[in-house]
Order: sequence, then C-alpha cells, then structure tokens
Amino acid sequence: MSGKRYHTKGINVIEVNSARDAHARTVHARLPVNQQPQQQQQDFTREQLPIPSRSVYPRPSATTPRHICNNPNNPPCARCGTTIIPSPRATLPLEDCPSVTIDNWTISTRKRPILNSQEFENWESNKLKGLTLPEMIFGNNYVRVENTRDNWTLEFNALDALKHVKLEDSGIRVAYSQKWIDSKQEKHRKNLPEGASFDIEESSLKIAHHYDWTYTTKYKGTESGTSRLQRDDEAKLPIDKLSRPDNILFYDDMILFEDELADNGISMLNVKIRVMDERLLILSRFFLRVDDVLIRVIDTRVCIEFQENKVLREFKEHEGAYKDIILRHRSSHSHDPKAALRDSNWVVQNTPLVSRQCESLAF
Amino acid sequence: MFDLDRIISLLRQGRHIAEETVYTLCLLSQELLMNESNVTHVNTPVTICGDIHGQLHDLLTLFEKSGGIEKSRYIFLGDFVDRGFYSLESFLLLLCYKLRYPDRITLIRGNHETRQITKVYGFYDEIMRKYGNSNVWRYCCEVFDYLSLGAIVNQSVFCVHGGLSPDVMTIDEIRSVDRKQEVPHEGAMCDLLWSDPDDVDTWSLSPRGAGFLFGGQQVQEFLSRNGVDLIARAHQLVMEGYKEMFDNGLVTVWSAPNYCYRCGNVAAVLRIDDDLSRSYTIFEAVQPQNDVGNTILPTRKPQMDYFL
Repeated sequence: MSGKRYHTKGINVIEVNSARDAHARTVHARLPVNQQPQQQQQDFTREQLPIPSRSVYPRPSATTPRHICNNPNNPPCARCGTTIIPSPRATLPLEDCPSVTIDNWTISTRKRPILNSQEFENWESNKLKGLTLPEMIFGNNYVRVENTRDNWTLEFNALDALKHVKLEDSGIRVAYSQKWIDSKQEKHRKNLPEGASFDIEESSLKIAHHYDWTYTTKYKGTESGTSRLQRDDEAKLPIDKLSRPDNILFYDDMILFEDELADNGISMLNVKIRVMDERLLILSRFFLRVDDVLIRVIDTRVCIEFQENKVLREFKEHEGAYKDIILRHRSSHSHDPKAALRDSNWVVQNTPLVSRQCESLAF
Repeated sequence: MFDLDRIISLLRQGRHIAEETVYTLCLLSQELLMNESNVTHVNTPVTICGDIHGQLHDLLTLFEKSGGIEKSRYIFLGDFVDRGFYSLESFLLLLCYKLRYPDRITLIRGNHETRQITKVYGFYDEIMRKYGNSNVWRYCCEVFDYLSLGAIVNQSVFCVHGGLSPDVMTIDEIRSVDRKQEVPHEGAMCDLLWSDPDDVDTWSLSPRGAGFLFGGQQVQEFLSRNGVDLIARAHQLVMEGYKEMFDNGLVTVWSAPNYCYRCGNVAAVLRIDDDLSRSYTIFEAVQPQNDVGNTILPTRKPQMDYFL
C-alpha cells in the first residue's frame, strides 16, 4: 500500500469514480441485454471505457455473434463487448455456473470450494473405497462440453479422474526414504537386547495400505454413454489455427484436485478451457513433482471445431528424472532453479515425451 | 530505537520492516526461546491455533475473534510460514507478541519451520522478493531452531504439530531431545512434526516411504500412559476447521481459512477452559478487498491466456 496515493485528493477522486464505474459496469453487464438500464449508455460514454452499448445493437451480419450466453449471472459476454471470465463476485466461495452455446455445442463450467468432511468421507468410504484421498479435492467443479444435437457429452471432473488412480504400490518413494528406513532399523537393532519399550515392531516399517500416493491419473475426460471417440494417431491438433489470437469468448481455469505430498512435491490436476468463435480448446494437465526423484506431466487436449462438428483428443505423457530436468534450467531461470520446476509450461518442454495417442470423432 | 509497539503496528498493516530490525527481533526471540523447554507447560484458559501459512490478515481475524493477545493466552501449533503471501509478517508478528507478552503465547515448531522446506514452499522466495537478498530468511531460520516441540496444558492436553512417534512413549522422553537444530529426516523430532493419524491398527509406514501413520490404539495408549485426555495437533487441512478423531482423543485444528486463497474452507481455534471443557471458534477468510474497495489480497482471477 503506498501512502502517497491517499494523500493526493485529486487522484483519489478519480480512483473512486473509476471504481464506481467499474462496479456499475460489472453489475449492469450481468443483466440480460434487454434488461440493461437505458441510462447506462450515458454513463459509459467516456472514452477510456469499453462501451458495451456499441456492440449490443445489430452489427453487420458477418460479425453477428453466433453464440448465446446461457447464464444471466455471467459477467459480460462477447455480445456485450467483453469476455466471459467466471469470477463474477469478489467473494469466496465462487459459485457461478457460467455457460455459453455456439451452434449445437454448449460449454459450461462450475467452480466450488473443496469437499467438506461429509462429502470427503462419502468419497473415501464409498465412491473411491481404498484410496487415501488427496488433501484438496474440488469435487464439485467441472468443465463440460455437450453436443446437444447428437447428445454427446465430454466432462472433466475430479471423481472420475481419481477413479483412474491405481490402488497398488507405485514403487515411487520420497528421496530420503531409504535413509529413513535404515535409521529406524538401526535403532531397532540397538534396542533389541534390552527388549526395551522403545521397540519398534517390524510391522511398523511395512506399508499398511497400498495406493498410488502420487495420484497419477491417465484420465482423459468422461464421455457420456458409450465411448464414441475412435483411435486416430495420425490426427494432429490444428496448432496454426489455435495459435491465432482469435477473440476468446469464454475462458476458465480450475483445479480438480491437489496434494502437497506431505511437502515432498506436488500432485495436481488442472483443467483450462478457451472458447473462440470457431473452435474450443481444453487442456487437462496432471502435474507431478516428487522432489529430487521425478517429474511427470500428463496432458489431455481436446479441440472441437464447431462448424465441422469434429472432436479431436490428444493424450501425451511426459516423464523424466528430477536431476536431469533441473540441469536444463540454467539458461532460462538462472537464479532460482526451483522456480523453473514450478512452471509446468517450462517443465513440459524440458521433460521427455513418453507416449502420445490421438482420438477423433465426427458427427 | 527499538520500539516493539511500533513494529507490531507496522506488521499489522503488512508494512515493510527494515532488515536490521528483523535481525534484532530474531536475536531477542532466540534468547527468549532458548530458555524454554522442549515441552512447555501452559495453564488454562488457553486458545490453541493450527496452521497459519503466511495468511496475515486471517491471523489478525483469529486474534480478533478469540479475545486478543491482550486478554487471552495462546498456543500456536506451527506452520507459520510458506504458501501465503505474508509469511514474514505473520511470523514476526507472533515473535513480537512473544517478546511483548512472553507468558501469553507459546510457539511450537511445525514442519515448515525448516530451511529445506521454506526454500521450496514460498518463504524463501518471499524474502528474496521483499529484500533482494536472503539475510532475513537466515535470521528467521535461526529462530526456527529454538522453537518448542510441544506443549502441555494443565497436565491434560498434549499439543504438537504433526503427531506421535514410536520413539516417544512418554512426554518426558521429548525433553531429552536436542531440539536446537534443523529438523532431521528421521527420529523422534521428525516424527512429532510430520506424522499423521490414520485408520490403521498399528504404527505403519506411509506409502511415500517415510513418515509414520498411527491409529486409534496408539492414541489411546499414549493418552493413558501419560495421563492426558487429548492430543491437539494441526498439520492437515480440515474443511470445517477442526476434526476430532479416535473417541475425541485427538483433534486436528486448522487455522488458515480459504487455504492458499482457493480452498474455500473455514478455520478454527480450540479454547480449553479452566474446567478443561473444549470450545471451538470458527472464522472465515478476509475478503480480498476491504470495505472501500482497496485490494488487500491478490485475487486468483483466472488470467486469460492463449494456452496451447
């Protein structure tokens, strides 16, 4: 907080005014177009503000938006001149379900807080029996894409993702595991002659309950009903089209689950979506870093061409030894190598690709 | 001149503290903490608080909702730093309170109060960002080495950051640990800061390959052997702020609301009264903006990008 700013009256007034404007703009923009107050147009004629009223009224047909904004609580959509970014209120928990429709495709997302204890216990003892759950599960979040004409849905959610976590020993151990176990056994041997009360039973050095504690999941999203995506490894994402800075109509970014691995790294599943006028792209990324041991990134990308009604899903696994990847940081993040390892985009570019699969579907 | 009340006031506003001031604070705190035993005795009534993780504004709410340091006694179960944006201010505020009201606040070491962990999980980065060098981080780490390992309230509530250790049958055994060091990767000190309760019949190894899990039987044995009623620990996120387990013989207290600014959980503190009754105070995270619309916390609004 800078003290100076608040002593200068003039600037203060401008700040208050623009804050009021911004607030009013947000509030009004949430209303459906036809309910927006008329005077709003006068309120926002200042040059520095984007003026929603310009884009509300008929435009040449070539540029008329094809999409429909489904939730009136949404922040402004492209019809009103700006992008849908689902953070409608400054308060937590965020509880909006923004949605947009383009032709026969409906895209919706939901963001809620982590599971409460009741939900958590229900998942642990019923839905995901046998798995010790990750610490943070955003179990009521989802990203969903629906083809309403052909009744096909693809959804990304935490429950289905965690169903892919194996209930067996992953074989992965934290870096200091052997040292830790050795020291316990050493102590055990020393204590044996006296049969002292400090005695650690051998069983205590056994793992009571096996599951993949790294929460590695090869989840590619949940298809409704029977799977209709067909293996098609020759297919390639239209990177050129996706690289174009087309106007983004809808954007969201959410975590499905996260675990800090008892401070031995991180395991996280994150889903991002961006919807443009002609296509959408989803990136579901599982990111695992076991400090001083290994790095794993599993990416699922879904690209949908609205006009052609074509779906493409690409699945890639990257994995490498921690020490090999950290060696590559030198040129890019010179002072803090650990920072590079927190940046999943940097990591994925520097971690060997282990496998790639592609599937496609055309309606 | 070294004016503790003024520093407290600056810290409460999240303002910058000069490097030399931090140095003095840390030095004084070390002298004070050096004389405390590994397990401190604390009298009721007392408020037991869980992880803070650099959420300064929520720490201020905690004091506000639970009576305040001027009127009440506190035990903090560790994990003052990392993850949040104000690790330094949160930790220094607690140290200042400790210097100002030594008998009203007990600070227990958490697994994040170590050099190794703070280098990875945010505190080190925060210091580099705020000071441009790591001196302040080093001063704070020196203090970490002197923090207590546990506390005992009226001979009936045992407080610790993580949990039990098979190397610690009685509370007295903790007193013989040499605590003035970086937390080792093995042994009693490590277990007390790292272990977790779980649904297991006996001591077991965590599937990660290090660290113990303990169950209801280990808790009951520990309670009866030591003549205490309750183990109060922190270390694990609980959506409702607290969670009692094993016939109420163990409680997890969590005091960082909306953890990492995105979990949407509430936080709690546990008050133990003179009659040893327990009461929990629940509180929510501060709003990211204050009532006149100024941002006090960076919001996690999705940053739109042309990801590929």
